[in-house]
Amino acid sequence: MDAKHARHSAEDKAVEAKTDQSIEPEEALTPEELAAQWEAESPEPAGPIANLVSSLVVLGLGIVGMVLSVGLGLGSPAEPAAGMWPFIISLIASVMAIAQIIVGRRGGKDGEKFSALSWYAAIGFGTLLLMVVLMPLIGFEIPSLLLCFVWMRWLGGERWRSATIYSILIVLAFYAIFIAALGTTIPRLF
Amino acid sequence: MSIIVGYVPSSVGEAAVAAAISEAKLRDETLLIVNSSREGSLVDKNTASEEDLARVLDSALKAGIEAKVIESTYRDDLTEEFLGLADEHQVSLIVIGLRQRSQVGKFIMGSQAQRILLQAEHPVLAVKAS
Amino acid sequence: MEFFGPVLDGFNVVLDPTNLLYCLLGVAVGMLIGVLPGLGPAATIAILLPMTYGVEPVTAIIMLAGIFYGAQYGGTITSVLLRLPGEASSVVTVFDGYVMAKQGRAGAALGIAAIGSFIGATISIIGLTFLAPLVARFALDFGPPEYTALAMLGILLVATISGGTKIKAIIAAAVGLFLATIGRDGFTGAERFTFGNLSLADGIDFVPIAMGLFGVGEILYNLEERHRAATAPVKVSNVWPKGKDIKEASGAIGRGSVLGFFLGILPGGGATIASLASYATEKKTAKDPSRFGKGAIEGVAGPESANNAAATSSFIPLLTLGIPANATMAIIFGALLIQGVTPGPQLINNDPQLFWGVVNSMYIGNILLLIMSIPLIGIFVRILRVRAAILAPITALITMLGAYTIRNSMFDVLLVVFFGAIGYLMKKFGFEPGPLVLAFVLGSLLESNLRRSLLVLEGDPMGFFTRPISATLLVLFIVVAVWPIVKGVIDKRKNSSLAASVAEEKLKENA
Repeated sequence: MDAKHARHSAEDKAVEAKTDQSIEPEEALTPEELAAQWEAESPEPAGPIANLVSSLVVLGLGIVGMVLSVGLGLGSPAEPAAGMWPFIISLIASVMAIAQIIVGRRGGKDGEKFSALSWYAAIGFGTLLLMVVLMPLIGFEIPSLLLCFVWMRWLGGERWRSATIYSILIVLAFYAIFIAALGTTIPRLF
Repeated sequence: MSIIVGYVPSSVGEAAVAAAISEAKLRDETLLIVNSSREGSLVDKNTASEEDLARVLDSALKAGIEAKVIESTYRDDLTEEFLGLADEHQVSLIVIGLRQRSQVGKFIMGSQAQRILLQAEHPVLAVKAS
Repeated sequence: MEFFGPVLDGFNVVLDPTNLLYCLLGVAVGMLIGVLPGLGPAATIAILLPMTYGVEPVTAIIMLAGIFYGAQYGGTITSVLLRLPGEASSVVTVFDGYVMAKQGRAGAALGIAAIGSFIGATISIIGLTFLAPLVARFALDFGPPEYTALAMLGILLVATISGGTKIKAIIAAAVGLFLATIGRDGFTGAERFTFGNLSLADGIDFVPIAMGLFGVGEILYNLEERHRAATAPVKVSNVWPKGKDIKEASGAIGRGSVLGFFLGILPGGGATIASLASYATEKKTAKDPSRFGKGAIEGVAGPESANNAAATSSFIPLLTLGIPANATMAIIFGALLIQGVTPGPQLINNDPQLFWGVVNSMYIGNILLLIMSIPLIGIFVRILRVRAAILAPITALITMLGAYTIRNSMFDVLLVVFFGAIGYLMKKFGFEPGPLVLAFVLGSLLESNLRRSLLVLEGDPMGFFTRPISATLLVLFIVVAVWPIVKGVIDKRKNSSLAASVAEEKLKENA
């Protein structure tokens, strides 16, 4: 997995102290140093391409919104029709998107680059979708168990034994709370 | 050549380091003191504080041997991480501590020490707390 | 007695066992999520929205409010012990709190933070008790133009004060306003953007949006972000601060409480800004400012009092004007709407039980929090050992099953997951979900008031400036809108304050 490569770089930070000096307990950092440290730890900003793409998406949505609003009829300021207000909002969004394309053309400091770890979020999203599909068919128990196990074992780095045990315990607890105690009508197998 | 020892801040960990120091002195080799902390939680009792590491390193240096602290992190597999470090540094001996555990506890949680003993490609010295 | 009658009645509401239980539940959950990394109060309140369906409105809001101010207490613990601010409002506590912990004074830092938080919150509740009725009475005369201006100002302030770029925050707010227009138009009856879909005719529900953007979005985001090595446990002994500590900190607590109270009232203000302002004030007024950053107890006491005072007083604009001051308040606003309660100037007279019940529950909640953060602190410190890998699926399941229970509809769950993906992508591309949700909540209020004003003013937008209150608010609106441009020019000449930039950095991560 790609995550392992990311980890190996951290392993190399060996603290060397071959002479008589012992390692100092971590220095108390001044606010300035702390700010610099957080800055260094924070993920890389999304960059100019992400800025352009996201702004273009907003611009596209804004234009579609304006066209649809015109279709609803704008009316006049004294007697606004249904499309007036959405038109104004879409116009603001479009103007802001154009402004953002210009302001953020060199990237800026906001957003985050996608990394190898972003796959974790994608897998997480996939398992949630799978749960939505499976729940009406086979009840919530098995999908929940699968979700817990996948999230703990592969997305969370639990050992398979602890992942199994915790998954079962969690599903039992949810069964006890949602079905036995609260009596909700969540689709269930048992 | 060097000796690697797995350190955790507990009586077992201290015993392992003490054994490793005397072994390193005997063989006149560098001692690598490893403390590996797990990812995912904010606090872990097996992670040594800087004071602990400084003290352990100091006692090794006082014994007149070359020593070095290696701090590493692992995600799910401490054994793999530890043996990886052993391979990387071409060690001549691995020193680990063993703690008392019931059969049931071992079955449920597994034993890192057991896996190190079985999987290591270097000689292993296993120490119990005195 | 005319004034105090309803206030005292509010205590009867609070002392109802169910309400007490939910208050305890709220503050305990709040403190927990303050301690644990990952979910913030906004996300937690969003995830727990389905819980509020089955209970009385006052009970629901007591619990949600408890989560909000409880998180302010909890966030301090990680700031002091691990140098990791649990919440954005505890960022400045790190500077002196962590140094104190390194000096072996962790107990004193946590103790003074808890006491300061308690005093700050209590002063703020008393202030709220007297100020809220005045604001509400003043706002009773507000007509559509005033509400239009107020809602616009509120959205703009939240958008400009949130972390990240202002333009993107305004875009997010515009998207929120647009989403609010989907469905049948209340004035003309025309169906807007429904594409003939019947389930869209009533508009998009607030709950799936909030649960998705804040809840699932944050859960997905955390899946990728929680790869941080554990640290060694810190020993905390004797959480009672010494007499000398209390004496040193008392001034800071007083100043922080008052400052926090006033900054919390402002729309877009709130706990984070209050804590920053308090730290700056303490540093400025200290006899020896060089002690700050080296374990000055005032640097912990002031900001912690201020952020709790602000968290409490930020209920004033919500409960008296119906304008939420920040993203968390927007979710509580949504929760009230679900319950059929419209927050606004009439609330205090129409539903005094609810109003005073919620306000007075804060006294109880803060006492409970003081107990939890002084004698029981060890339990919460132990919770730091829980691995995020085990919490993530639990929160995900609570969200999924909770979303289903709202209307027994799988479609709602799908919506939550869908908005979760959007929330995640927004974060990755630097858009804050906060302004979107706030704008969505205020969307229909803003539109209907704007259209009503235009009818009243016969289509003349300048008419807004002929009424003193709406004119003032609109002038403020313009000032706030133009200010970033002016400030950008000034900033180029001198660097912005460090603490603010640090907090902005953290705000981006935690929001």
